[in-house]
Amino acid sequence: MVLCFAAMTAALGALYGGRGRLAVAALALCFALSTGLFLFEIDSPVDGFRMPWLRG
Amino acid sequence: MIRAARTAPGADLARLGDLGLLAMLTGLAAVLTVAMVLQYVDGELPCPLCLLQRVALFGVCFGLIRHFRPDDRGRGVGVALLGALSLLVIAGRQTLLDICPRPGHEYVGDAVLGLHMPVWSVLIALAVIAALAAQVAVVGGTAEGRVPSPRLVRVAGYVGLYVLTLCALNLVSAILQCGLGACHTDGYRMLGSAAAAFARL
Repeated sequence: MVLCFAAMTAALGALYGGRGRLAVAALALCFALSTGLFLFEIDSPVDGFRMPWLRG
Repeated sequence: MIRAARTAPGADLARLGDLGLLAMLTGLAAVLTVAMVLQYVDGELPCPLCLLQRVALFGVCFGLIRHFRPDDRGRGVGVALLGALSLLVIAGRQTLLDICPRPGHEYVGDAVLGLHMPVWSVLIALAVIAALAAQVAVVGGTAEGRVPSPRLVRVAGYVGLYVLTLCALNLVSAILQCGLGACHTDGYRMLGSAAAAFARL
């Protein structure tokens, strides 16, 4: 999580400093890290990515 | 007879679009500020999915700030849309996670105006997507070489600096809450470690 925020802070800082390509690279890194972390957080050892409780 | 200076209707529409994007950026900065206030004043620590939603919101802000930078050519709106879609996916998943009452799965934090935070995030994501779609449909893409008015660019710069400061504060907050491990909502891990180390001295 810290790495996600670090990458986003770097992206915003680079954008504010006029470093466009560095900003986009940091944003892409943030997106990749966030995607991985999101999948890790929602993966359940019992249900995987499924949501069986929604079937009622 | 003095004729009043006229601007092309397209230019007026583009200026209105820029104003709308600036208002959106300011609104999202306010949302992120409220999140920080709820965390530190009310003691409502964010869960990992809540923190990821903040990251997505900062991603939307990135795109909106980008719009006011030179030579944007509409890419900022595209980045903002990607951020809003990410927010919708994360918030939607968290809403579905807790929408059916079951042991150990309740919405994190108190309700605001009857809705919990992930539901608000879904609504915000849908509103941002709708607004950006309307922006592109009505105003169109950014013509090459066109820049927003200097006054709007200056104000966007100040708001952008505030958003950057908020993101840096969130980074420090994430370090205090999570350290380099998982994020839990029962306290600030690094503060507890520091207190324990101090007590051993």
